[in-house]
Amino acid sequence: MTTSDGVLRLGSRSFGAGEFALMAIINRTPDSFFDRGATYATDAAFAAIDQAVAEGADLVDIGGVKAGYGEPVSEAEELRRTVDFVAAIRARHPELVISVDTYRSGVARQVADAGADLINDTWAGADPDLVNAAAAAGIGLVCSHVGGLSPRTDPHRMAYDDVVADVIRTTTALADRALAAGVRPDGILIDPTHDFGKNTLQSLELTRRLDELAATGWPVLVAVSNKDFIGETLELPPGQRGNGTLAALSVSAWLGARVFRVHDVPAARQALDFIAVLRGTAQPAGTRRSLA
Amino acid sequence: MPVVAAAVCPHPPLLVPEVASGAAPELDDLRAASLTAVESLATAARIVVIGSATAASTYDGAAGGSFGAYGASGVRFGTGPAVLPLSLAIGGWLLEQTKAVHLPRTYRALPPDTPPDACVRLGREIADSNDRIGLLVMGDGSARRSEHSPVHLHPRAEIFDTTVANALQHRNLDVLKAVDPDLANELQAAGRAPWQVLAGALEGTSLSGDLTYEAAPYGVGYFVASFT
Repeated sequence: MTTSDGVLRLGSRSFGAGEFALMAIINRTPDSFFDRGATYATDAAFAAIDQAVAEGADLVDIGGVKAGYGEPVSEAEELRRTVDFVAAIRARHPELVISVDTYRSGVARQVADAGADLINDTWAGADPDLVNAAAAAGIGLVCSHVGGLSPRTDPHRMAYDDVVADVIRTTTALADRALAAGVRPDGILIDPTHDFGKNTLQSLELTRRLDELAATGWPVLVAVSNKDFIGETLELPPGQRGNGTLAALSVSAWLGARVFRVHDVPAARQALDFIAVLRGTAQPAGTRRSLA
Repeated sequence: MPVVAAAVCPHPPLLVPEVASGAAPELDDLRAASLTAVESLATAARIVVIGSATAASTYDGAAGGSFGAYGASGVRFGTGPAVLPLSLAIGGWLLEQTKAVHLPRTYRALPPDTPPDACVRLGREIADSNDRIGLLVMGDGSARRSEHSPVHLHPRAEIFDTTVANALQHRNLDVLKAVDPDLANELQAAGRAPWQVLAGALEGTSLSGDLTYEAAPYGVGYFVASFT
């Protein structure tokens, strides 16, 4: 069902099994839930990317439309916010993996031409032509689970007999569809998409049982950073969920997630570097204590 | 006098403390009002629970209810498999906590496209009984009441809910029967069909209404009413 060597290939980078890839969130929206548009202006966005790369990000995820409910953003406006920006990032950081968070095939085609390596389809194939766009461009695709919601809506009493089974069924079906449409098998990821179409208890269950998703063989992307399930668990507003984010991210990494979409790059990089050593896929930086 | 008491309650999963976890106290008043209304059904000889669901169905009193689908797998009742849809499961869960728990019980689920006249007719059929019936009507108001509603704010949601609340308070059966199904669906008001069953069931009675709770603390309209 997936590549035989388990290597994830995005742009010019390869991420072997057991290697963690860090994706920095760069919003090109004036109304993100978390940063409220801090990186909306182009100069600020470039500075944020330069900093994320310096701090250890392997990928950046560019979003031109706020995920939740908000002002309508036309395809033309989304293109205006993303295409030239992607081209400029590509020129500035030739090795950086560029992901674009979009559910529109028209946007996917044009950002791919501009140099994007991955389409992060947070709305689970709402636009059925998106897989064809990724296939034609030879770039990667994130297959997500939103519980059948329409783009940019919030969950109301989503019910699952088994939320993990539902996520596995949905994301692997989307991955198989992407494969059948010609998307590169080593460029397909699955994302349980915490919070989207899920209540907090369901997102916690997904985190607790992430090993079951990893066992599908598809590389798992997790995007838990500052989400409401962390906020509701700890009773904390968006600006104070960093520690909870690291806990959720660390457990996800331990249970087999491979790509991590985050706001705070240095914190996540440290946590992932530590877990890589714990898992035995990396060596400690230096072990002198009580050994001299 | 076949329908001797009726109660109207909302059915958010959040009403169940194990689902709400630390947020449970926020709905203490709604839970208490609902239990008081359901308690008043204990004077009946038999309970009929009406609620909305994706498909029409009837269940007997052994039918099980569970909230595992919402993350609280430890909460369940009934001796049979957990087949009850959410609205009826909340109704059964409320009944389990009252003196009405020992009464024979049946459940009816109605899909949101059930025509108003069919709902009214069903209400009349339920009332056409030799038993003393206690009717538990599970119905939420609009899920589009505020900017932070589960479904985004609809400008007509509040007046819609206020109209229903007034009709429950003043037992205005004609207003309940006239609630437009298309508007109710647009406003994501799950209670429309069950309220119209209530309107049909109350026709031959002199029960009077008492609205004891009306609020939308999370952007979904909740009503509790007693008819005694």
